[in-house]
Amino acid sequence: MLEIKGLKKTYASGVQALKGIDLEVPAGVFGLLGPNGAGKTTLMKILATLLEPDSGEVAVTGVDFINQKMAARRMLGYLPQEFGLYPTLTAEQTLAYFARLKGVMDGKERARLIEALLERVNLSDVRRQAVGGFSGGMRQRLGIAQALIGQPRIIIVDEPTAGLDPEERNRFHNLLSEIAGEATVVLLSTHIVSDVSTVCGQMSIIRRGEILAFSTPQAALAQIANFVWETTVPREDVPALKTRFRVISTRMFDCRVRVRVFSRDGRPAEAFSPATPTLEDYYLSLVSQPESVN
Amino acid sequence: MKNTLSPPLIAVFQAEVLFNLKRVAPYALMVIFSANAVLWWARGPAIVRGWAVNSDFYIVWLFGGFSFMTMPLFIALMMADPVIRDFRIGIDPLIFSKPVRRIEYLLGKFFGNFFVLVCCQACFALTALGLQAFSTPGMIVLSPRLFPYLQHFFFFVVVSSLALGAICFTVGTLTRNVKIVYGLVISFYFLFIAWQYTIKGLPIRWRIVLDPMLFNVGAEVWKGRSGDWLNQTTIDYDGYMIANRILMIGVSLVCFAILYNRFSSAERARTTARENTASIFNLAPRMERLYNESEGSGTAPARQAVEAATEKPAAIPQVKIITQGLRAGFDQFIAALGVEFRLLRAERSLIVVAPLVMLVCALELAAFEVVPEPSYSAGYASRTANSLLLFLFGVAVFYAGEAMHRDRESRIEPVLWATPAPNFVLLLSKFSTTLLLSTSLIALVALTAFGVQLYKGHAPFEPGPYLKTYGVVLAPSVVFMTAASAAMNVFLREKYLAYAVSLALGGGLYYLTGQGYNHWLYNPALLNLWTPSDLVSGGPHLTRILVHRVYWLAISALLLALALLFFERKSTRVLKVRGRLSGKAWTILAALVLVLTAIITGFILVA
Repeated sequence: MLEIKGLKKTYASGVQALKGIDLEVPAGVFGLLGPNGAGKTTLMKILATLLEPDSGEVAVTGVDFINQKMAARRMLGYLPQEFGLYPTLTAEQTLAYFARLKGVMDGKERARLIEALLERVNLSDVRRQAVGGFSGGMRQRLGIAQALIGQPRIIIVDEPTAGLDPEERNRFHNLLSEIAGEATVVLLSTHIVSDVSTVCGQMSIIRRGEILAFSTPQAALAQIANFVWETTVPREDVPALKTRFRVISTRMFDCRVRVRVFSRDGRPAEAFSPATPTLEDYYLSLVSQPESVN
Repeated sequence: MKNTLSPPLIAVFQAEVLFNLKRVAPYALMVIFSANAVLWWARGPAIVRGWAVNSDFYIVWLFGGFSFMTMPLFIALMMADPVIRDFRIGIDPLIFSKPVRRIEYLLGKFFGNFFVLVCCQACFALTALGLQAFSTPGMIVLSPRLFPYLQHFFFFVVVSSLALGAICFTVGTLTRNVKIVYGLVISFYFLFIAWQYTIKGLPIRWRIVLDPMLFNVGAEVWKGRSGDWLNQTTIDYDGYMIANRILMIGVSLVCFAILYNRFSSAERARTTARENTASIFNLAPRMERLYNESEGSGTAPARQAVEAATEKPAAIPQVKIITQGLRAGFDQFIAALGVEFRLLRAERSLIVVAPLVMLVCALELAAFEVVPEPSYSAGYASRTANSLLLFLFGVAVFYAGEAMHRDRESRIEPVLWATPAPNFVLLLSKFSTTLLLSTSLIALVALTAFGVQLYKGHAPFEPGPYLKTYGVVLAPSVVFMTAASAAMNVFLREKYLAYAVSLALGGGLYYLTGQGYNHWLYNPALLNLWTPSDLVSGGPHLTRILVHRVYWLAISALLLALALLFFERKSTRVLKVRGRLSGKAWTILAALVLVLTAIITGFILVA
C-alpha cells in the first residue's frame, strides 16, 4: 500500500536525516523503530506532506504524496509527536473543526461521527470541556480521534505513547489494532520497543537515516534465538565485559548488574546462561552495532 | 577581580543577550535605526534651516525626534514579552525550580533585553556620529565631535527608554499578554500629547521636570533663533533636567517594585490554584491546567465506562467526504473563520484595548473643538478617523501577526496542515478575523463619537457622514494594512521581524507624508488627501478618492494573492491537475488581474 523509494533529505544545517529510504508497507499496523535522531520524525513529516524531500518517491495506492499533496491529505490521518490544541475550544468543537476541514460537510453526519469518535477514545464525559484543561493522555486520545476523521487510508502516528500511563498505553494499542484494517496502513513511529511488539504486524528499524532491518516481530525473534546470553556481575566488572563481548543491555538488579550479551559463537563465557530473546534484544543488537558493520 | 554580582542574575542576563543574538528582530531594528539616522541626515530639516548636523542643539533635536517616533513601539517589541516567552515555551518550571530569586530573574530578564535594546538604539547614534565625516551641498558640519553624541544619547534616549521599558516589561509580565502592552504603547502618543496640553500652563521649569521625553527643554529659548546662534549653543543639563531624569529612573524603580511584589504573589497563587490563570489581573491567555480526576474518566464509574467501552468498541460511522469544489472550500473557510472568531472572542487583551480606543477617542473629542465643516457629524467623524488610524495600524500589525503565528506557537500547525484544507482557508480566515476586529473597533469609535456629539448637543445628528468617512477612508485603509501585515508575516516568517519591518514601513510612510510626500500612489491611508467636505459634497475630488480606494483595495488583494503563493505550506507544484487549473494557477491569474487593476487605477490617479 505505502511505497517509499530512494527518499533522501538533508537539512540546511548539513544534517543528512534520510539517506535513501526504500520501504514497502502493507496494510495493518507497521512499526518504525529507531533511536532518537534516527530520522523517524523527518520521514513522518514527509509522509504527512509537511516536509519536502530532496529526492525520492512516496505513494499510497498510487497517489503520489510528493507531487499531489492535496490528494494525499484527503487520505491521511496524522498524529504528530508534539502537537497542541486550541485551549479554549472544547473537545467537541475541536473535532467538529477538524471534521469540517477534512470535508465532512453534512452536519448530522458530523455530529454522529464526533459522538462515535469521542466514545471510541473515551472522552464522551468531557466533550464540553475546554481542551486546555485536559491531561496529557486525554489530549493524546483527542489527537488520535482527529486522526481517524475522514476514513483515512494511512494513519501516521509519531511517538504516540510517550507520556501515557500503562493503562492509557494499553488502550491506545487496542485502538490502533482495531483501526488498522485491510485497506488502512497505520504507521507507528516509536523508540519504545514494547509498542511495536504489542501491536505491529511488521516492523522496520531505522538508524541514522537508513533502514537497518525489515521484519515481523516473530521473525526478528527467530533471527536471534540462541544468540542472547545473560549473566549477573558486580557493577565494577561491567566495563571489562563491554570490552570483551558485544553487550546489548545492562540493568541494575539487586545491587548487581544483569548483563545481556549477543554472541553467535555459542556461550561467551562460563558465567553466561542462555536467555530468552526479546524484541528489545533484537533492536539493541542492531542499533548498538558500529556503523561499518551495516 | 571577584565578581560581586549575583551569578543567577548574570546567567539570566547572559541567556537573554544570547537569545537575542539568535533572533532576527534586533538586527532588523539596528538596520532600521541606522537607516533612520541616514534619513534624518539627508532629508531632515538641518540643511533648510541652516542647522549644523553635528551641533549640540541638532544632536538633542535628533535624539528627541528619534525617541518620539520610534521609542514606544520598538521598546514594546523588545520589552513586552521576555517573561511571557518563558511561560509560553514552558521553560518556567525549570527556571523556578533552581535557586534563582525572583528579583534576580526579573532583573536579569529586564536588563538582558534592555541592553540589547540600547545596543540597537545606539546604531542610530553611531550612524549619526559617523555621518559627520560626510556632507552634501549646503550642509553645515562643525568640527568632528564624539562626547555630545554619547552624553546626549545616554541622557535623552537611554533614560527615557529605561522608564518606558520598565512600564512595558511590568505590564507584559503581570498581564502575560503582549497585546495589552501594544495597545498601551499605541495610546502613548495620544496620552503624551494630552499630557503636554495638560502641563502647558505650568511654568517652564515644571514642564521640563514633568516631560517624560524632555521635549520642552529650551523650547522657548530656541524659538525664532537663527541657525548660527543654535549652532553655537551648548546644551548643559540644569537642575530641572537632572530632576526629570531622576524622576524617570524613579518611575522605573516603582515599576520594578510593583512587579516584584505582584509577580511573587502571582507565582505563589499559581502553585495553590493552578487551574486559575497565573496572572493576577486575569488577562493572560487561558493557561492549561492539570486535569482534575473527578471531572473525567479517572473516577470509578467513569473507569467502568472506559472498560465497557473497551469491551464493546463503538463503530466509527462512514461519512460522506467532500473536499473539492467551491462549496467544500466555502464550508472549510466558514469552519476556520468560526474557530478564529472563537479564539478572538477569548482574547482577553480586548478587555483593555477596546475601552482604551473609546477612551482616547472620547478624550480627543472632549479636549479639541470640533469644527462644523461641512457639518458637526462630518467633523466628529473626520477627527476620530484620523486618530483611530494609528490604533487600526497597531491592530493590523500585532493582531494579524499574532493570528498568523498562533498555530505554530500552539503547536497545532502540523495537524492543521495535514488536513485537506486549501491554503486560502487557513490564511484568509485569519485575515478576515483581524478585519472583523478592526471593523468592530471602528463601530465602537463611531458610537463613542456619536455619543459625545449627542452629549455636547452638536446637532444635526446624521449617521451618513460617519458611514461615508469610515467607509471610504478607514475601511479600505484597514483592509490594506491587514493584508500587508498578513503578507509580511508570510514573506518574512518571523513574527518579530515582521513587526519591526511593518512598524518601520508604516512609520516611514507617515514621516514622508508629514514631509509633503503624500502622493496618491503611495499613500494607502489617504493621509492629508481628503477633507470632510470632499466626502459629503461629492464632485470630481470624491471620484478621485474612490478611484484611490479601488487602487489600494486591488493592491491589498494582490498582497493576499502573493501571500497565498508564498505560503510556507505547499500544496501543489503544478499549474494543472487532471486537466483543470490548480489553485496555484488560479491565484497567479487573480494576481495578474489585480496588477492590471492597480495599473489602470494608478494611471487614472496620475492623470
